Amino acid sequence: MTAVELPEPRTGSGRRVARWIAARAAGALIVLWAAASGTFLIQALMPGDRATLLLNQSSGENRERTPEELAPVNAQYGFDDPLPVQYWNYFAGLLRGDLGTSYQLHRPVLGLILEQITPTLVLACAALVLAWAFAVVITVLTAGRGRWLTAIGSGLETVAAALPHYWLAAILLVVFAIELPLLPVEGRGGALGLVLPALTLALPLSGFLGQVTRDEFTAVLDRPFVLSARARGMSDLRVRVRHVLRHSLLPAVSLSGWAIGALFSGAVIAETVFVRPGIGQVLVQAANSRDIPLVGGIVLFVAVVYVLANLIVDALYALIDPTLGDS
Amino acid sequence: MGFTSLPGRAARLPGLVAESTAALLVVALAAGCSAADGAAPDDDGVIEYAHEQEPPCVHGGWVQNAYLARQYLDNLVSLDSGGEVVPWLAQRWEISPDQRTYTFHLKPGVRFTDGTPLDAAAVRENFERYLDPETQNSTVFAYIGEYYERGEAVDARTFRMHLTKPYAPLLTVLTQGYFGIQSPTALARGTRANCEQPVGSGPFRIESWERNQQITFVRNENYTSAPANAKHQGPAYARKLEWKFLKDPTSRYGSLSGGESDVIYNVPAIDWGEARERFEVQQYITPGRPVALNINVSRAPFDDVRVRRAFAHSADWESAVRAAFFDVVPHNGNGALSSTPLHDPEFSDAHRRDVPRANALLDEAGWTGRNEAGYRVKDGVELHPVIVYPAGAVIGPEGVALLQNIQQMAKDTGFHVELLPATQSEYFGGKYSSPDSYNAITGYWTSPTPGLLYINWRRRLPERPNPQNNTFYDNPELERLISRANSTLDPAEQRTLYSAAQRIISEDAVAIGLYTQTTSLAVRPGLRDVWIEKSQGEPVFHDARFVR
Repeated sequence: MTAVELPEPRTGSGRRVARWIAARAAGALIVLWAAASGTFLIQALMPGDRATLLLNQSSGENRERTPEELAPVNAQYGFDDPLPVQYWNYFAGLLRGDLGTSYQLHRPVLGLILEQITPTLVLACAALVLAWAFAVVITVLTAGRGRWLTAIGSGLETVAAALPHYWLAAILLVVFAIELPLLPVEGRGGALGLVLPALTLALPLSGFLGQVTRDEFTAVLDRPFVLSARARGMSDLRVRVRHVLRHSLLPAVSLSGWAIGALFSGAVIAETVFVRPGIGQVLVQAANSRDIPLVGGIVLFVAVVYVLANLIVDALYALIDPTLGDS
Repeated sequence: MGFTSLPGRAARLPGLVAESTAALLVVALAAGCSAADGAAPDDDGVIEYAHEQEPPCVHGGWVQNAYLARQYLDNLVSLDSGGEVVPWLAQRWEISPDQRTYTFHLKPGVRFTDGTPLDAAAVRENFERYLDPETQNSTVFAYIGEYYERGEAVDARTFRMHLTKPYAPLLTVLTQGYFGIQSPTALARGTRANCEQPVGSGPFRIESWERNQQITFVRNENYTSAPANAKHQGPAYARKLEWKFLKDPTSRYGSLSGGESDVIYNVPAIDWGEARERFEVQQYITPGRPVALNINVSRAPFDDVRVRRAFAHSADWESAVRAAFFDVVPHNGNGALSSTPLHDPEFSDAHRRDVPRANALLDEAGWTGRNEAGYRVKDGVELHPVIVYPAGAVIGPEGVALLQNIQQMAKDTGFHVELLPATQSEYFGGKYSSPDSYNAITGYWTSPTPGLLYINWRRRLPERPNPQNNTFYDNPELERLISRANSTLDPAEQRTLYSAAQRIISEDAVAIGLYTQTTSLAVRPGLRDVWIEKSQGEPVFHDARFVR
C-alpha cells in the first residue's frame, strides 16, 4: 500500500518515461478490471436469490417466492442466464461506458454516482487537509524536543490513529452538537455542517500521517545538513519547517494515496451519523440490497479515484523529493 | 354526507351505523373548532420530521411504505381512534346480506394531484394492479388475494367489490396504507416513476426524493378528501413536510433536541425519560403480531412439542423485555396477536418461567444427557437451537440485548441457544426462508385485524403455498378455525373461533411473543396536532400546525 514505485529519474530518455507511463496505465487498467470482476462475482455468488431479494425488499418481507413470481424478474434482469453470459453482458456494458441501471432505484448508475459524489469528495478533501494540518503541526512542535514533548506528541498520534470512526463520530456528535450545541447534528448544508464529519475522518488519519512523518523527521534532524543550517544561524522553527519537514514528508505523501481510499470507506460512517448526502451511504444501501450494477459502479468509481490519487502522489513525490529534484 | 341504514344489517353489524354517526360527529366538531386555543397559528410552516428507515420505493407492502402512504394517498375508509371504520374516499357503503358484495359510494369532485379525477374506474384499476402478479403488492395480495373476485365500476361514483366468500375483516383491512388509491394515469407511467413519485389525492404530494436524505412533500392546495376522523377538513396547514431519514438513534434524538427537527420517530429507549420532560411524546402500540419468536416445527429439536414448551418455560420473557427496553416497550407473550381487536388477553402471559417444569419436559422428551458445558444431549446431539434475527432492519440494539437475556436464561435448563444475525440482504434474499435454515426466527406483522391470523397460519400446501407461514406449522384444524372466523356472519361466534385459534398457537408453543411493535413520536413544543393513526401506527401531518 505504502510502497510507491519511483519514477525513473528525469535523466532517462523519453522512451523510458513513455514505458513508465504505459506500465502505470496497464497497472491501473488491471486494478479497474479486477475491481469490476471481483465485485460482480462476490455479488452474484453470495447466498440468497436476487429476484427474491428484489421482490421481498419492495414488500418488506422474508419469504420464499413462487416460480411464477420469480420468472418475470429473472427474465427482466437476466438472472437465469448462465453466469459467464451475465458477466459478459455486464462487462460489455462497462466497455461501452454503460454502468447499467440500478436494480433498486431504477435509474442509471452513472447518474446516481455523479449526483452523490461531490459531497463525498468535499468531505474526503476537507478531512485530508485537516489531517495533514494536524500531523504537521504536532510533528513540528513536538518531534525531537526532549523526552516529554516527544512522548506527548507520539502518544497523541497513537491514540488518534486507533480511534474507531463510529465511536469518534458518536462522541463528537454528543459533545459538540448535543451537549454544547455549537455545531449542527445534521451535516447537510454549509461549512459548519462539514466540521464534525471531517474531524471524524481527519483525527485517526492524522495519527497515521503523524507517526510516519515523525519517524522520518527525527531521523532527518540528526543529518549533517540540518546541523549546517543551524550553524548558519537559522532559527529552530525555520530549520524544522524549511529543511527537515520537506525531507520527512515523503512517506506521508505516499500514504495519502492510500488515505484517499480509506477516507471513502470512512465516509460511509460519517455520512450516516451526520446525515450527509454522499456516495458512502448509497454504497451501504446498495450492498444491503445486492444492487450489483450500483455496487459495481461505485467500487469502480472509487478504484478510479484511487488510481488517480496514486498517480498524483507519484507526481508530487517527484516534486517534493529533493534528491529527485536536484538530479 | 349521508349514512346507510339497510334494514336488517344493523343487527348483524352494529358497528357500521355507529361508525357513520361517529364520523358525522367528528366532522362537525372539526368544523366547529378549527382555531387553536389562544396562540396564533402559523399556517405556512415547514415541518421537519426525522424518520428512521427508508424503503426502496415510496409505495410498497412494508409498514415503512404505509407511513409514507398516509401523507400522499387517501384510502376508501379509515380507522378512527375507537377502532371503528369511518368514511374517507368512500362517503358511505353498503354490504349485501350474504356479505359478498361491498358497494362504495365515492366522494364527489376528488382529483389526484396530477389532475386525474378519482372515480370508480380508478379504484378498480388500483385493486387489479395490486393483485396482478406482474405489478403485485404482496401485502395487498396476502390480505385479499383469496377473497377478491372482481371489481365493478357501477357508475363514476360507485365502486362495487365482489368477493369469493364473506370476509369480515375487509373494511378494517382497507384502512391500511398499502390500500391507498393511486392515480391510474400515474400508474401507467411504469415502474421507475411509480417507485419514486407515486401520485395520490392525499394532503401532500411528493416533490422530490433525495435518496438516503429525505423525501420532500408539499401541500396539496386542492385537498378536499380528508377522512372523517381527521381533525380538520381541507388542505394541510403546513406548506411543506421534510421527511428526513436519520438512521442513527443518537443523531435522531440530537436533531430534535438541537432544534433541527420538529418531530422524530422511534425515540431511543435510553432518551425516553428526558424526552417526556422536554417534548410531547406519543406512543402507540401497533396492532398485529408483536415481535415474536416463530418456532420452526419441521425439524429437531422443535419438532417435539415438549421441547417447544420446555423452551417457552425456560425464560422469563417479561423481565427480559423490561431489562432490554428500560420499561419503555411492553412485553406481550401472545405470539399470534397483540392489542388487535379480538386478541385474547388470556394468552398475553401464557409462557412463564418454570425451570422444574421445563426440566421435566426435556427429561420426558429424552434430552437427559449433559455435556461438559452443561448443555443437554440426546443420542450424542447437543440441544442447540439456532435463532435467526434480521439485525438492524427489524431487531435493533435493544432487541439484541433481549435475545441475549433469553439465551442466558435458557442455559439453565440446558439449551445451547445460538443467536445468528442475518444481514438485510440475507434476510430479504430468502437465505432464511427454507425449513432447514433456522430453528426459530423473529418476525412481526402490523395489522388492525385478527384476519391476519389467516395470513400467518394457513397451511403450506403444494397447490396453495403460504410462504408467510414461517413456523412450517401445518394444522388443518387451526386453518379451519381461522377461515371460518374470517367468513362468519356472527360476531360472537367470530370471537370464539379466533380465540380457539390463539389457544392452539399458544399451547403448542409455535410462536412466543416478545415485545409489541410500537410507533413512538416526540414532538417539540410549538407544533400541535401531530397524531398517530390507528391502523398501522402511521404518523399524520395533515392537521399539524405551528403556534407562536
